[in-house]
Amino acid sequence: MKKTYGWLSAFVLVLLLVLVGCSDSGSKEGATEKEGDGKKATKEGKDLVIAVADNFTTLDPHDTNDTLSNSAEKTMMEGLLGFDEKMTVVPLLAEEYKANDEATEFTFKLRENVKFHDGTPFNAEAVKVNFDRLADPNSGLKRHSLFALIKSTEVLSDYEVKFTLSEPFGAMINTFAHPAALIHSPKALEEFGDEVGKNPVGTGPFKFVEWKPSEGLKIVKNDDYWNEEFPKVDSITFKPVSENGSRIAMLQTGEADFIYPVPTEQVEGVNGKNGIEVDSKPSIVVRYMAMNTMKKPYDDVKVRQALNYAINKDAFIKVVMNGQGEKLDSVIAPDVQFYSQQELYEFNLEKAKELLKEAGVKEGLKAKLWGGNSSSTVKAMEFLQQQLAAVGIEVEVVPMESGTLSDKIWSVQNADDAELELYYGGWSPSTGDADWGIRPLLGGADAFPPKSYNVSYYDNEEANKLISAGLQTADENKRAEAYADVQKLLWEDAPWVFLSADNTLAGKKNYLKGVYLLPDGSLSVSEAEIE
Amino acid sequence: MVELKLSNKEAYYQQTLENIPSKTPFSEFWRKFKKQKLAFVAFFFVIALILLAFIGPFITPYDITEPDYENVLSGPSAEHWAGTDAYGRDIFSRVLAGTQISLYVGLTSVLLGAIGGTFLGIVAGYYGKRIDSIIMRICDVLLAFPGILLAIGIIAILGPGLGNVIIAVAIFSVPMFARIVRSSTLAVKSTLYIEATKSIGTRPKRIIWKHIFPGTVSSIIVYFTMRIGSAILTAASLSFLGLGAQPPSPEWGAMLSGGRDYLNMAPHVTIFPGLAIFVTVLAFNLLGDGLRDALDPKIKE
Repeated sequence: MKKTYGWLSAFVLVLLLVLVGCSDSGSKEGATEKEGDGKKATKEGKDLVIAVADNFTTLDPHDTNDTLSNSAEKTMMEGLLGFDEKMTVVPLLAEEYKANDEATEFTFKLRENVKFHDGTPFNAEAVKVNFDRLADPNSGLKRHSLFALIKSTEVLSDYEVKFTLSEPFGAMINTFAHPAALIHSPKALEEFGDEVGKNPVGTGPFKFVEWKPSEGLKIVKNDDYWNEEFPKVDSITFKPVSENGSRIAMLQTGEADFIYPVPTEQVEGVNGKNGIEVDSKPSIVVRYMAMNTMKKPYDDVKVRQALNYAINKDAFIKVVMNGQGEKLDSVIAPDVQFYSQQELYEFNLEKAKELLKEAGVKEGLKAKLWGGNSSSTVKAMEFLQQQLAAVGIEVEVVPMESGTLSDKIWSVQNADDAELELYYGGWSPSTGDADWGIRPLLGGADAFPPKSYNVSYYDNEEANKLISAGLQTADENKRAEAYADVQKLLWEDAPWVFLSADNTLAGKKNYLKGVYLLPDGSLSVSEAEIE
Repeated sequence: MVELKLSNKEAYYQQTLENIPSKTPFSEFWRKFKKQKLAFVAFFFVIALILLAFIGPFITPYDITEPDYENVLSGPSAEHWAGTDAYGRDIFSRVLAGTQISLYVGLTSVLLGAIGGTFLGIVAGYYGKRIDSIIMRICDVLLAFPGILLAIGIIAILGPGLGNVIIAVAIFSVPMFARIVRSSTLAVKSTLYIEATKSIGTRPKRIIWKHIFPGTVSSIIVYFTMRIGSAILTAASLSFLGLGAQPPSPEWGAMLSGGRDYLNMAPHVTIFPGLAIFVTVLAFNLLGDGLRDALDPKIKE
């Protein structure tokens, strides 16, 4: 009988907990209607803690292909050029640059009196050492591909350097501004060799102290920074915290001053409370559903357009993105260079059904939708499944673990063997240039997996011509024209179902200024300031 | 007079015979079982669940796959008793429809495991020697894995899906059944009546079927009931991890998984399927407890 009471009391206890949980949610709903509590958080000292979602992979920018590690590298190192808050190119270690019309020669005039953290002076020779390292095909660096076109780097004078490309490449200026082109101290490169990724030495506003992959990265103020206005904080510690809930809790308790990312569904719950602000900004991350244009029935443009009409984009943003996004109205997001707006495919079930009928697609078409297995991706795929059911397409959602997924997509050697039908994915062109937002994804047979990311197997001669036209010149007007045409063409040919452009979401205490996310999702902390 | 006395006596005996409760094993069990109040309630709850599994999908107030984007994540109300989920689907309807899936997975997987385990257990216990060693060492190996880990491993080989979850749960139920049945078999085998049966030359097949198997049934029933609870739990866990039921199936574990991102702002999305799992597993466990107490001849009142 004792056991019986044990069970009973356990049951009552759980029931109580559940009831407490319920009543709590009730009171919360009331609170969200108010516009925050207006509290101002305060901070002692000038040491910042930033909680991020992942570990850094390396601190060698030449060998980095994740945005997060780039963010950390940018605090300690600088490139010739950089991006500002709107992702436009601004000069950093270069004062000005010139390019010839064919986009094959680029000359930079460098900033004078800049020193690396180890005392080595910054000059044309240092630039050459870095770009020779990047352009060397035997280096095995992850970012070699961005700079493979550099044929030679010449030192013209102490503060003048000229790059010559092996073929015209109109997007080169943006490539120089990419975080992959950050400059190491030549002394450090020599001293540490392959270990330079653990001992970064640059010209940036912060100096490296220590980095323990599981605990985080610590950097301190560089007192000799060339821009005397900065840095305005003494030290910054980056902590990797993969659990969404813990990151939020760290911000709430003040253990962290800035967190990134904030999960979309948490925004309402924390924004404006306890001195917490959530910054929501448009990003250049696009979300789309790719259709294999070599497979029936998606080889018919009517079917592809029909699917675009069949998806309610407003509902997609509301349900899947929790309102944190904008409808996608081109293949690239508005903040990408040379973006041109297209006319939306308005949600219209009748039109979708009509187009499907014209294309001879019968009710009950079966389709497989592939994608990753994170909860937000699965949610998006389930949403698409529901929407396509309304026009009589039975979609099977197949979430896959990332290893399996890339194996399934990128191990296919011959385009005709591809099993892929529909794929839900996203893309962020981190050079901020239209070229990197279009060519790897839709740039014809050269971009088919496994070479690149053209999972739509889209190969349109006219589009290919326009894409390469955009690269043949450094003339901004000619490039803009070519990209405007290609965007129009791609929009009408609809190799994707165009869904949304994400917002980036970062949470911070409201005493913190100058820490922000760039549209490509990388973090800028150089101008950090505590009020 | 004498005749009269006799008829009186007969009447008396007849009366007493009617008064003495007939002690068939079942009535004895039922009498003991009724005394376990909690288990008795759990028993009716389980019956109700099984009924619900059959009629559940037909009595849902809303279509379980129909989204309503105007009404997402709304809390419990008169229209939606358990609120709506991230797509605006009615959670109460989905929990009702999910009963069928959970019970189906729980019952089938344990049934398969019980059949396999009972067969192995009886063979091991009856024949002994090398067969016994081989079977029991294999069971030891399987038991050395934590159950859920073994299930995840099996799913990794077979691929995700409800059918494979059933197989996985069945496989890791086998060794426990085998062990329990083996020990009952050993006990029954050493009794006098089995020795007697053997000595008159009955074949092993007949001994096993007619004499040993019935002797192990009570322990199988008890463990079977208890096991259903943990099988449902394991199936839900696997679906939670994305290895079992695939969307948009209203499996309880999958519903929990879909709601976990909203724990802070919309806890009802996880509370109701969680409660369903909790109550169901609890009911099967309580029933199992009660059955054990009622079936165990060693427990005196």
